[in-house]
Amino acid sequence: MASKFGLAGGIPERRVRPIWDAVDSRQFKNALKLSTALLSKYPSSPYALALKALILERMGKNDEALGVCLNAKEILCTNDSNVFVDDLTLSTLQIVFQRLDHLDMATSCYEHACTKCPNNLELMMGLFNCYVREYSFVKQQQIAIKMYKTAGEERFLLWAVCSIQLQVCCGNGGEKLFQLAEGLLKKHIASHGLHEPEALSVYISLLEEQNKYNDALEILSGNLGSLMMIEGDKLRLKGRLLAREGDFATAADVFQSVLELCPDDWECFLQYIGSLLEDDSILVKDNGPVHTTKSIDCKNLHMSGELFDSRMSRAVNFIQKLMEACSNSERGPYLALLEIERRKLLFQKGDSDKLLQGLIQYFIRFGHLACFASDVEEFLQVLDSNKKSEFLRKLVKENETTTIVPAKALGQSITVFKVQNLIGNLISLPVDELENMAVQMTQMFYNNLPLSKDLDAQESMYGEELLPMACNILVQLFWRTRDLGYLVEAIMVLEFGLAIRRYVFQYKILLVHLYSYWNSLPLAYERYKSLDVKNILLETVSHHILPQMLASPLWPDLNILLSDYLRFMDDHFRESADLTFLAYRHRNYSKAIEFVQFKERLQRSSQYLMAKIELPILQIKQNSNNIDEEESTLESLRYGTHFIDLSNEIGSKSLTFNEDFNLRPWWTPTYDKNYLLGPFGGPSYCPRENMHNLIKQTEVDAVKKIEKRSLLPRMIYLSIYSASVSVNIEANGSAVDPKLPLELKILLERYARILDFPFRDAVELVFGVSSGQKSLEVPSMDIIDWTNFVVFLNAWNLNSHEIGRGDSGRSTWNLANTFLRKYVEEMIKSAGPVVSSPGNDLSFLVQLVTEPLAWHALILQSCVRSLHPSAKKKKKGGSVEQSNSQLLNEIQISIQSLRDMIEVVTKWLKDQLQKPHDEKFETLYSLVQRDNTCDGPGKVFKILRSSTSAMKDAEVGDRILEALHSWDPADVARKIVVGQDALLLEFLKICESTIKSLQALRIQL
Amino acid sequence: MTTIRRFCCNDLLRFASVNLDHLTETFNMSFYMTYLARWPDYFHVADAPGNRVMGYIMGKVEGQGESWHGHVTAVTVDPEYRRQQLAKKLMNLLEDISDKIDKAYFVDLFVRASNTPAIKMYEKLDYVVYRRVLRYYSGEEDGLDMRKALSRDVEKKSIIPLKRPITPDELEYD
Repeated sequence: MASKFGLAGGIPERRVRPIWDAVDSRQFKNALKLSTALLSKYPSSPYALALKALILERMGKNDEALGVCLNAKEILCTNDSNVFVDDLTLSTLQIVFQRLDHLDMATSCYEHACTKCPNNLELMMGLFNCYVREYSFVKQQQIAIKMYKTAGEERFLLWAVCSIQLQVCCGNGGEKLFQLAEGLLKKHIASHGLHEPEALSVYISLLEEQNKYNDALEILSGNLGSLMMIEGDKLRLKGRLLAREGDFATAADVFQSVLELCPDDWECFLQYIGSLLEDDSILVKDNGPVHTTKSIDCKNLHMSGELFDSRMSRAVNFIQKLMEACSNSERGPYLALLEIERRKLLFQKGDSDKLLQGLIQYFIRFGHLACFASDVEEFLQVLDSNKKSEFLRKLVKENETTTIVPAKALGQSITVFKVQNLIGNLISLPVDELENMAVQMTQMFYNNLPLSKDLDAQESMYGEELLPMACNILVQLFWRTRDLGYLVEAIMVLEFGLAIRRYVFQYKILLVHLYSYWNSLPLAYERYKSLDVKNILLETVSHHILPQMLASPLWPDLNILLSDYLRFMDDHFRESADLTFLAYRHRNYSKAIEFVQFKERLQRSSQYLMAKIELPILQIKQNSNNIDEEESTLESLRYGTHFIDLSNEIGSKSLTFNEDFNLRPWWTPTYDKNYLLGPFGGPSYCPRENMHNLIKQTEVDAVKKIEKRSLLPRMIYLSIYSASVSVNIEANGSAVDPKLPLELKILLERYARILDFPFRDAVELVFGVSSGQKSLEVPSMDIIDWTNFVVFLNAWNLNSHEIGRGDSGRSTWNLANTFLRKYVEEMIKSAGPVVSSPGNDLSFLVQLVTEPLAWHALILQSCVRSLHPSAKKKKKGGSVEQSNSQLLNEIQISIQSLRDMIEVVTKWLKDQLQKPHDEKFETLYSLVQRDNTCDGPGKVFKILRSSTSAMKDAEVGDRILEALHSWDPADVARKIVVGQDALLLEFLKICESTIKSLQALRIQL
Repeated sequence: MTTIRRFCCNDLLRFASVNLDHLTETFNMSFYMTYLARWPDYFHVADAPGNRVMGYIMGKVEGQGESWHGHVTAVTVDPEYRRQQLAKKLMNLLEDISDKIDKAYFVDLFVRASNTPAIKMYEKLDYVVYRRVLRYYSGEEDGLDMRKALSRDVEKKSIIPLKRPITPDELEYD
């Protein structure tokens, strides 16, 4: 840190070193003492002040720290030539300003310093870094150019070029700016050449952005091309540029030479074949969401049949030569032949028998590999159902006839099962055959345990995939038959697997979903936690649990989930710019651009925005029994105004969806879809083809949901306000802010619009529904939105009296009471015992009670508080009292109605909880302990249960044998029940505390 | 059927199925991004068709004089793509870059002393145990520092095993 003259920020280093040491060892009190002493000697030294500010900030004294920083800034920004300005002082100040969220002030210090000491490269770099932190691309460019002019270094020019590229890709800059960047580079190259490989990459990408492929090619083949040291990379780039230029013939030759170097390079093969077919769709850079797959369909080829044939036979000849040259372990060339056959079929020039033959050959060679099924998935899609079935038959035959080592044989058998699932014929199998298959899979896993005898506990076991496959079938059997025994077996299979090897994440994920479905959410959460989801996985994997938790009464756990996730994201946003600067400093320019783009992608994450709104909603829910606390919560949320801004912007923002859905089970392909909640879909049900559309729909709905949920805090605040002023508008003579009720009306209109209704129609509908004349044909979760609408409508009407005016006789109080009651009662009526009713609407009931019902209770609290502000206030007489007495009556009725509703819920919960554990356990456990002669579930479970007695030590080794002995299926069943009860208990606590608060409210009246 | 290319930020959003494996650590963002910002040539991902991540390797180059070397920080392969020598391919790539581009003397890596399968694999790839680092992992488990000499170390001096184990504070680099 010290300068070469032994000075630090103009102060002798020996004087500041003890302070640094104290800070480093976190002895902040001592550091502060030393720094005060230093300041008495150097009272106007900006560095001494910056040090003090740094210490104060570390001690959590942010206000004081800011004051000291501002003092230092003031001194620095004077024109006094005696003030010592250096990067150490400024960067120390910068650190504190940044931690205090005042980046702009750090920037202005650097700006001033750069004016004061022009041509000081260190300061200019500091200023560039400030602009990087602020994402001010234009200013970055300007200062980089200045540095380039001062020092003439290539890297500064590239900083400027990157800043220009960022203006186009992440800012408002037009593409014309690329010309400017190109011009700058050209000029520099003419006089100085180029010396860094990354600089060449930037130059070429700049030309590519402008479609100047020929220019890029020329550069690549010239002297500068030698900067690119990996031959394969250089050829790949050359091939891409040629193809984009339209010179497909040369491009194909180039890709061919890459394949000779790297025969297994699949992307290069696709580019090769794309060039042969003069189709450059594969060459477009893909920055799309995680779940897009590159698929080539040959639909838009403009090529004669003869030419197509000749190109394809060239490809076949080349690939066959490649096969001869490379080792047997590489799948590339073999799959390449399959791809060629697939293309031929798509071009109506193929022979499906040939493709089928190729697939069998591929099976013989690679059928034992776990990736076989996903390798061939795309090829199977071009075959008709007859051919698919033929393929399966041949596969089964091949599998039976070949004799290979046991591990490979097991791999092949698993592959056969996977292919069967892939071609979709499981769904059309009769129940008994399907059941038999699950039995086979489980038995196969069990029989092959000896293969894993000598494996380390951490290593994947042979046949591990069989258990989730069996589970998937059992869940399907449950869906088809509604026999709960299959669901218990599905869980048992996975828990059995975990007992043998506790690390398998695939088992855990399936269990998270099965336990969630069966309302054993605490258990699901426990399994989720064992996945150790952290850091960036929070963005891609949280969707397995977060949506269920959001609609649950497990508030403390939900709080942790949301807070951890938001902390991770916000930390990244805070540190991302410094890492970007690191990339600049290490001359990895393309990474600097990538980092900025990535930060933007995460900032626009739909899950991030959703969590940002759900965390405050959770806080509001948690405080809904105490209006005073609720008001301070709302105050800390700036009365919800910030979220309104978020809601306003959402339509114009292109959100990103970063969830990785690939690991979700088949029955819930996205977080808002669960097939098990509906009836069996029959053979026409085909999730694979639907996946893309499903995800698109989920995305559209997610945007709508964020827009809707973001309105809630403000609507709650305005409703409380409206209720309060409706009582004391005349009572205490205080003026109503006319803007607020109007704002509530506007928000209600908007809320209705999001529900796809004009306001008036929405009002008509809710009145119709509450009187039984109309019905809401929407999913249960949408009913929550409608109930919210009703509750806020009543709050608005308390003040505006627009509804029920005249002789219509409509009361929004009555509307709210009946609407809420209707859905609470409906749910209770339809709900069976939790232990035997997986997938029931419990989460809907939880949301109904903890959201609209809680908001309504808040509105009531607000009214009561205004009616009885304090005992000291004198009662007013006359018309005010009269109008208030009417209101008082409404309030009393509504409080009673609300209390009755929650009593109903409480009674239901208590009934559930009062049943003895053993009884519930028996209900569940007996489902799989059936007589073997019977049809139905129990057969898979029998294998699992007898496993411990049948296996011998010598066969499987101590470790596995011990695990088999420790397996306790009864314990699994018991835990499910315990989890369900824990969930009900949490809900009961919430209900009871609401009842208590309503009781207190009634006493106040 | 593998495409090996430089790792990029978007790959962080695609590697869940690899990283959920309990032996693969999911580091914090600044860790990944520091590697990307400083040693992008040492961070590669292998893609399968259909855009699935098969595995990846991250590493760096560091040291001075004759201890200028490539370092493997993490190498991991999705369970579905194991037993296909993908880890070997990724390791060879990093060795190649250390050897040919950065002219390093050797490549090294650390492995838990109990992770026998991994140690065996590295031995197959010609790595030797250079030294044992006592309580290297969270102050509990010993680590093995394994090395492979590159062409610049003609006499293979870098891989002559040390006779005594060392403690983590004796390590030259983090």
